[in-house]
Amino acid sequence: MTGRPQTSRIAALGGHEFRTQPEELAIARHLLALTAAKRPRVCLLPTASGDPRDGITSFYSVMDRFDCEPSHISLFRLERERVDLAGHLLSQDLIYVAGGSMLNLIAIWQAHAIDRILRQAWERGILLAGQSAGAMCWFEQGITASAGKPRAAPGLGFLPGGLSVHYGRDPDRRQAFLREVANGFPGGYALDDGAGLVFEGRRPIDAFAGRRGARVVRVEADGQQAVELPLHPIPLRRELLWQPDASIAEMRGLHHRRLASGRRR
Amino acid sequence: MLDLTHKRDRRQIVAFGGGGFSMERGNPLLDDYVVGLTGKVRPRVCFLPTASGDADHYVVRFYSEFATRADASHLTMFRRDRSVSDVRRHLLAQDLIYVGGGSLVSLLGVWRAHGIDQILRDAWERGIVLCGPSAGALCWFSDAITAYYSGPERVDGMGFLPWSFTAHYDSEPERRDQFHRLINAGMRPGFAADDGAAVHFIGPRLHAVLSSREGAGAVALRRGNDGVVEDRLETRYLGAKSKEVLATPPRTAPVAA
Repeated sequence: MTGRPQTSRIAALGGHEFRTQPEELAIARHLLALTAAKRPRVCLLPTASGDPRDGITSFYSVMDRFDCEPSHISLFRLERERVDLAGHLLSQDLIYVAGGSMLNLIAIWQAHAIDRILRQAWERGILLAGQSAGAMCWFEQGITASAGKPRAAPGLGFLPGGLSVHYGRDPDRRQAFLREVANGFPGGYALDDGAGLVFEGRRPIDAFAGRRGARVVRVEADGQQAVELPLHPIPLRRELLWQPDASIAEMRGLHHRRLASGRRR
Repeated sequence: MLDLTHKRDRRQIVAFGGGGFSMERGNPLLDDYVVGLTGKVRPRVCFLPTASGDADHYVVRFYSEFATRADASHLTMFRRDRSVSDVRRHLLAQDLIYVGGGSLVSLLGVWRAHGIDQILRDAWERGIVLCGPSAGALCWFSDAITAYYSGPERVDGMGFLPWSFTAHYDSEPERRDQFHRLINAGMRPGFAADDGAAVHFIGPRLHAVLSSREGAGAVALRRGNDGVVEDRLETRYLGAKSKEVLATPPRTAPVAA
């Protein structure tokens, strides 16, 4: 909680997973760096996919590689956990929202009044981030497949306009977004897997790509048509690519110690 | 005056205080009871695991219990792009809709967003049997006393049954205190069921109380002149028959002990 900027910020990701591939790690690292906290407190909200155990486990296994304090809140297992939702969320440096069903995400948050806590967190300068449904939720509208085929659905509206994710991978979403924008749906942004866009207040200030070629596209209406205006995301450095994995380093250490003790004998 | 209207009522809900395949391994008594209500040899049974966030292990347990005895299916609300396309038609084609436990607040939020609450009302009115434990029981009532992060609280259920209700009555004493407080404060009268007990409603009326283990039961609560009146309800233990068999001494046993 050190040196947190007072500006409200949101980092929207077009597609990101808690995995050990360098491009996925680079994104996690970038988000942590954006908090500017020495040892960031990071809370995962896996609501949109029903708080699945494997998703929560991969979050911890990736976050354990960084100097941070990870936690998560499950809205499906609260009956046993009994946490102070507001107290916990408002003490974070970064709140990361995982993907899944955008429709369910918004409905469940509203039912638990989490949407109000998140607005407070945003206003206090806690970095809000998320991928897929967890990115679209911050905008007025998202293009979601929550009810089957991709279509527009309302988000929390902290950020103006619409967002579409998995842009290059899912042509149906792209078609749905372009069609909606051509029909008067608010313009906005489209993000490929591995691409991110950071907003300060309601303005975009930074586009980045954890994966080579991942696009950030501004989509606007031009008469009866939607046009795509590509931005130039900054490629993230993949420093972790050559840094030894913590567990490998530990194994090597053990191996060296064994060798050393063997020599002594 | 003899009231026969409820006898013609097709609407049936069986609310478990706890129990069924997810909570009572190897004790199918409550599940057998609800399957029996369908009157079908091989009923169509759909499981709604929404309150658990469509937890995989829960869905697997449902199939291992029901796949052999029913035309079983489940409905996911989190991966609808990979699920049945016409939810309404699928649900209205069932004989029994089985709602899993978990978070009541999350359950109701998701259902309302997808319009499932209205479909379930139609299913109920058409005589499709509705049942479930815990959150899957609370959801049908007007006032549900659920326990989540801030302790037991009152939540508006779907209101098919114009009563208040709480589950796990014997295992979580704070629910009882809260229930009494709320009844005293003017909440509508209702019922509370133990783990292993179920309340069976025909239309809005309580028809029977069933249990899958001896000692489990349910109570009716209302506000009397001197505070809350809690009446223990007559309960039918569904395992009574097998208990008699067990009670018969084996032939080799000594006649007198």
